[in-house]
Amino acid sequence: MDTVFMTLIGVVLPYITLAVLVVGLTMRIARWRKAPQGKMTLYPGSESGMPMWKKIASEVLIFKSLFQGNKGLWAGSWIFHAMLALIIFGHSRVFFEALFFLPSTASQDLVSGLTGGTFGVVLLITAVYLLIRRVAVQSVREISDFEDFFALFLILAIVLTGDAMRLIAVLGDHHDLMRGEPGTRAYFLALLTNPAGALALMPKDPYFVVHFLLGQILFIYMPFSKFLHIPGVFFSQAAIQKV
Amino acid sequence: MSEFEHKQAVVDSVKAIKNAPRVLQLYMDICAHCGTCADNCHVYQGDPQKRTNPAARSDLIRNMYKKHTTLTGRLLRKGDLSEEDFEKWVLSFYECSGCRRCAVFCPYGIDNSVLTRKGRAIVHSLGYTPVRVRDTQKVSDEFGNDEAQPPKAIKANLEFLEEEVEDECGVKIKIPVDEKADILFVPASADLISFPETQMGVGLFFHLIGASWTMATMAIDGANFGLFSGDDAHMKRKNKLLHDACIEFGCKTLIIGECGHAYRIAKHIGGKNYWADENGNLPYDITNIFTYALPYFKEGKIKLDPSKVEMSATYHDPCNFARSTGITEEPRELLKMMTTDFREMTPNRAHNWCCGGGGGLAVMDGPEGVKAFDGKTFMDYRMQSGTKKVEQIKATGAEYVANPCANCKRQMMQLMEHHETGVESGGVFDLLLKAAVID
Repeated sequence: MDTVFMTLIGVVLPYITLAVLVVGLTMRIARWRKAPQGKMTLYPGSESGMPMWKKIASEVLIFKSLFQGNKGLWAGSWIFHAMLALIIFGHSRVFFEALFFLPSTASQDLVSGLTGGTFGVVLLITAVYLLIRRVAVQSVREISDFEDFFALFLILAIVLTGDAMRLIAVLGDHHDLMRGEPGTRAYFLALLTNPAGALALMPKDPYFVVHFLLGQILFIYMPFSKFLHIPGVFFSQAAIQKV
Repeated sequence: MSEFEHKQAVVDSVKAIKNAPRVLQLYMDICAHCGTCADNCHVYQGDPQKRTNPAARSDLIRNMYKKHTTLTGRLLRKGDLSEEDFEKWVLSFYECSGCRRCAVFCPYGIDNSVLTRKGRAIVHSLGYTPVRVRDTQKVSDEFGNDEAQPPKAIKANLEFLEEEVEDECGVKIKIPVDEKADILFVPASADLISFPETQMGVGLFFHLIGASWTMATMAIDGANFGLFSGDDAHMKRKNKLLHDACIEFGCKTLIIGECGHAYRIAKHIGGKNYWADENGNLPYDITNIFTYALPYFKEGKIKLDPSKVEMSATYHDPCNFARSTGITEEPRELLKMMTTDFREMTPNRAHNWCCGGGGGLAVMDGPEGVKAFDGKTFMDYRMQSGTKKVEQIKATGAEYVANPCANCKRQMMQLMEHHETGVESGGVFDLLLKAAVID
């Protein structure tokens, strides 16, 4: 692909992405924190302090309110978010050589390949479920706007390209980034330490380039979009307390 | 069509959310449009369409906010606000009863009632508030109560209720008015005229425990339409009457009767937040009749024969008692002591379905000047949004539904008639008139 294009995506945009994500989220959270807020008295609520943190944990980790409110959506969206969280954790392999609890790089590649591949497919299925639900259920369709679909399609595209890299590699092709030289670890290390050398190290695999570009768009979009529900849920649930 | 004259005022009010309390800002930012609120909203379940969808209602404000304050909004969002659109705002914000059930089930705890009240505040500031709500506020500001009762009428009314108690229970009771006492009792606005049995039952209770109590002509109802109209200044004015009466009659305890929103305002919104001294104290405690009365019943100070209440009874949790103030067990325990056949409806407590009369809706029957209604009336709408409630009550098979809230009572009475259930509706203390054993 075009060198200018690759330089933009691979060497310029990552810094912009990081800056926008960090500064954007920080500013938004700072604005929330600065805003005055008394207790939102709503029962069943929790006491402040430890019970409040337990309640937040139950909302963030098991989606307790949603479980009570809509079991079908709970199942679909909980699996979706859990897979997403695991896969984001799994992406640490993209940056780091070894994870402490697995013995060798080879076994890590195996575990990573199996779990990452499986989770990626489940994630794809649940994302499609969320999309179908948004279109098929009247009460959800009528409140869905451009941004809701944009967010879902963006995630779908990222998952599809990610899955493609993973699955086609399992089938014996050469898309697995860990096996190709020099690989993502050297590339990201160069972005940190030697930007001038990064372009040469950047994997040029089209799946990777598209996946990486869309991922960056997601992170840039995050502080200005409905993805703010990720940091926001801590604040909105914390506001709900007993007297 | 000509430009809507108040458009800029609406836009400015919505843009001001950028400096509003934290939850309002969060509600602008974090809704994921998952639709769980609609699944759990009685209004939507009774009449499923975009206008009654809680997220769509909140989007009226949210979309305008995004359009004017965010980059993507400025670029992507179109649309203008015509007078016709705004008439739809009025209808939409007055179709929500502000029951907060959606907030309990929302994964982020988004309380759409906060946005409903914000919307109503904008509607009110521009003079579009439905007639009955607007007029009730006016009457309240003039007379100090919602039923336009001068002190003389209040006293005559209470004397009449004393006689009624004597006729029904054979005991002569006194309902003290404007006297120095330990307790100031403030009932729901309708309890002196429309639903007097509750007031009579409470009067009998205070008589039986020999309490030092009084009612005050200056604070004869706890109702406060400022909560419903979004008019904070009115809410504070009306709440001041309760505070002033406590001071004037030297009361150490303010007890709110069977009125959830009155208790919510007296205890959580007003009260200490408005009138505390520099140390954060009030010279009196604020409680409700259930919390206050329950220990007396448990200690056996009130002799009861529940078999005299020859009805199976169920309990409807008013939104402001259950979700907003957490009073769910006390009224149940009282009912279980006063009846032989108490039946729980499901879901209940904080998960209870709203009756459809909350947020001031119960007092509105006609179109009330809301133009977007287009032939329908608030009564039509209320009977529709009460469908879930009717199903719930029918399933219990109970003959009596106790609902300690004047809005609920009126809505429930009409609902039960409209759907020909034959179920009687009333308060909790109404049953004391039947169940009490007088020595």
